[in-house]
Amino acid sequence: MAKDPRVTRIEDLPGPKSQGEMEEMKMPYEEYCKGIFDVGNEHSKPTALKGLKWLSCTMYIFTPHSVANLAELGAQVVKIEMPRMGDAMRHTSPFNECYLYPLHDTRPTTGTGLGFTNANPNKYFMTMDYHIPEMREHFYSLVRKFDGLTELYRPGTMDKWQLGYRQLTEINPRFIYVWGGGFGYGPKIFGGSYDILGQAHAGLASITGMHEYMGGHCTKQTNWVIDWQSGNLITCSILAAIHHRRKTGLGTMIEFSQVQVPTRMSGYSFPMYGKFGIVRQRWGNWDTQLSVHGIILCGKSDFPDADNPQDKFCARYVMVSAFQDADFKELCAITGTNNLYEKYKSHNERCEGEAQVEIYTALEKWAEDKTRSEVAKTLQDAGLLAEPVRNDREAYESPHFRERGTVRWLDDPLFGDMLVHCGYSCGHMEKTPRRINWHWRPVGADNKKVYQDWLGIPQSQIQEWYDKVWI
Amino acid sequence: MAEKKDIEINSRADTIGLMDMDVRPYPVTPVVSYDEVKPVYEKRKALEFCEWAEANLKFEKRYSKDESLSHIRVLDIGLWRLGHKFATSLFGEAGAECVSIEPPGGDPLRKLTPFGREEYYLENRDTGEKCGMEFVAETVNTHCVTLDVETEEGQEIFKRMAGISDIVIDGMPPGYMDNLGIGYRQLKEANPKMIYIWVGVNGQWGPWKDKQSKFGQWELAPFGSCADSWVHNTGLAQDLLPRGKGGDPTRSGVWLEDYTAGGQAFLNAAAALYWRDELGNSGQMIEVTGSETLLDMLDFDITWYGFNASIKGRSGGWDPNLNQYAWNPCKDGYMMIGGQTDKLWYNIGFCLERDYHQFGRLIHEDPFLKEVGARNALHALIKVYSVTTRWLRDQCRVEAEAKLLEYQLAAGPVMFIDEVAEFPHFKYRPWMYVQETDYGPLLIASSPSSYQVQAPFRCKWMGRDLGFDNYEIYMKWCGIDQNRVNEFKQKGVM
Repeated sequence: MAKDPRVTRIEDLPGPKSQGEMEEMKMPYEEYCKGIFDVGNEHSKPTALKGLKWLSCTMYIFTPHSVANLAELGAQVVKIEMPRMGDAMRHTSPFNECYLYPLHDTRPTTGTGLGFTNANPNKYFMTMDYHIPEMREHFYSLVRKFDGLTELYRPGTMDKWQLGYRQLTEINPRFIYVWGGGFGYGPKIFGGSYDILGQAHAGLASITGMHEYMGGHCTKQTNWVIDWQSGNLITCSILAAIHHRRKTGLGTMIEFSQVQVPTRMSGYSFPMYGKFGIVRQRWGNWDTQLSVHGIILCGKSDFPDADNPQDKFCARYVMVSAFQDADFKELCAITGTNNLYEKYKSHNERCEGEAQVEIYTALEKWAEDKTRSEVAKTLQDAGLLAEPVRNDREAYESPHFRERGTVRWLDDPLFGDMLVHCGYSCGHMEKTPRRINWHWRPVGADNKKVYQDWLGIPQSQIQEWYDKVWI
Repeated sequence: MAEKKDIEINSRADTIGLMDMDVRPYPVTPVVSYDEVKPVYEKRKALEFCEWAEANLKFEKRYSKDESLSHIRVLDIGLWRLGHKFATSLFGEAGAECVSIEPPGGDPLRKLTPFGREEYYLENRDTGEKCGMEFVAETVNTHCVTLDVETEEGQEIFKRMAGISDIVIDGMPPGYMDNLGIGYRQLKEANPKMIYIWVGVNGQWGPWKDKQSKFGQWELAPFGSCADSWVHNTGLAQDLLPRGKGGDPTRSGVWLEDYTAGGQAFLNAAAALYWRDELGNSGQMIEVTGSETLLDMLDFDITWYGFNASIKGRSGGWDPNLNQYAWNPCKDGYMMIGGQTDKLWYNIGFCLERDYHQFGRLIHEDPFLKEVGARNALHALIKVYSVTTRWLRDQCRVEAEAKLLEYQLAAGPVMFIDEVAEFPHFKYRPWMYVQETDYGPLLIASSPSSYQVQAPFRCKWMGRDLGFDNYEIYMKWCGIDQNRVNEFKQKGVM
């Protein structure tokens, strides 16, 4: 407030304060959003986690992704790999097709496979055989400088090597120590784990896929969803722990079991089993709680002449949603199934299993002589919700993801042009956008930086360790 | 022993109550005791560490520990979807004070129930109000208030609440809040330190932004996963099962994209809070969508398209990148086996060879399969899984699991919900447990972030009647007393 109450200052009045602000308030909302997220200029803004430093003794997707989230948000993340070999995920590529070279300067004809993509952007890559006692002190020197560590060994392994939470918290009481693995304490503590095990073991697989009645089997989510999502939820725990440390100054240990994640994401499955003794089953491409809200098969492909079989044979599916009364009525009118509207006027009636079978069968019958885009367009033109089920090529060519910058080309500092669909897609942030600086680097690419610049090890010593395969 | 009763079942309705948790004990099989677990720890010579871990990380101790975000206020508004709810629940589990705003008619999600069966509503034991299971399960530690933000008075109240919130979570259609004059650009003026986060399916801007039908129906999951190729790539290929009979692109059984969007919403907001408090001294706008958070999880699929124009197809329970890493049929279901690096790869063989001598000759001695990367070629997958399934067809899931675990492999059966609920390890942790709620005892999944030395996540309550917290929250946040709340109720504002 102005000191003199008789003076009216524009700052004290509600509403826009300047021409610029006024224009901002008047701008159409979509323009406004586009403006504040300012796709393509992410690097001109600050990062959210500037100053945080994280160590990563991780492999595969789950735990690396949990720290990749931090790296995309601006934390300095150092990934420590075993000398020469590196992360097991570097040695995997879809159908053994694509590699980026070199894996390591001693192995120029071996590459890193695309399996490594997305879980390791922006990280620094050093090597250290930290399980040998000679390297222990140097590991501790890093711990003194860093905020936390994520590791994935079988429980007790790091502790045995004197690198567990109990030892590191003595060195750095503010240290946040994260174990991510399959099971955690309990009878199956030493059971190994993968994404697919989480999907199988914790219930997600049993409720995904076509029902037996349709001839189907349990189906794996094609991508490593439990690895990625568990990675996200660990990062959530890490950030909560960082906020707790800001208040109390205390470090902590987090034990996170990925096999548990699908159980937490199963909606009503467990309450229903507990209360009513009913075991939730697969319900294919339909929805157990909404009808009509499912994917139907159309008679004709959109691209009958395409070379790629995914385009040629599979561009035949449409997601159709008309569960509210008015929408369903319109859907029935368009598809010539007014009798179904008469029969199933209320949502709960048309949601019954038998009703769903009848309705979707009728819809697929209607779509029998149509292509995917005809079906989608007919319904969209009538003001209903329907979208084609799209494939990777269509996601790549999508004007939506392109405009939003969530699929984009990156001129990687080392590997050149690479298509990116991670990081930017995790969420748009106005003032501290996430970003990708590089995809990954070869095994041990930043050894000199870490050992010489941060730990003060002379180059001759670094060479010696290197020759002994300690680093 | 439970009392024996004569019952007559004429319709489904007669079965309700027969399986309730008061009647049918859970778990059916007893929980493993520490004495049974101890030898497992001893065998690996890790007893001392494991005892320390149990003492310091144990789930049962969560209430005796601190909460990490108890200083944060979260205001959530949205309908239908789980994305904004999951994000709010995560904040609630971490200790934040969360308030969820519903219109006076309630979130339609309260009315959703599997196959439209009203007998599966949960009933509040004190008030008799009924609510769908999904709503209850995904509303954790959240205060439920009602407010009609389409009225002028409602908007005033919303502004006041947003003015004292650290986080505002918006799960409404694109531009809805902005049109009402209570969106980010209007609210930030009064509360520049607020973090505003929009959670949706495809976006609030761009050519495929979230749509509504001409009757106002929203786009819900799985529209996001249909847009970004997730659905297209999931399922069995048509050469494994005929199209239309299981060999089709398949959606997830759960509203997957809502959970991934909710997780990233929490994550980005927590990072933005850190930046606000440590560095920037300012709030910001965040936008998270289901389709894009799944895009982040598409492994390398789009990058692969950029590399050589490959469009990923469906591969059912197999994985095109790892071998072995799949589930295949066995005697009584499906068995998942994983082991890719040489050590694990050969361990699988050593295990299988005990029953099936040909395995080593056919697989280990095949020169093509000796190199890790080469094993991922399609014909290699077909050979390895055919031979493995030859072994599996004589094994039950339990037998196979026991044999494979002896070799320290990642192996486990595909389990159904009841089997998951009775699995010894899961009950021991426990990953699902019986929580006393307003709706009676409920079997619920615990938070995976509950196992921490300092500040574990925890569930305190689930679900709430519509407007249950009106009096408390309006008094505490806005100083609106009971009488005025009642007046607003009569006017239809609350």
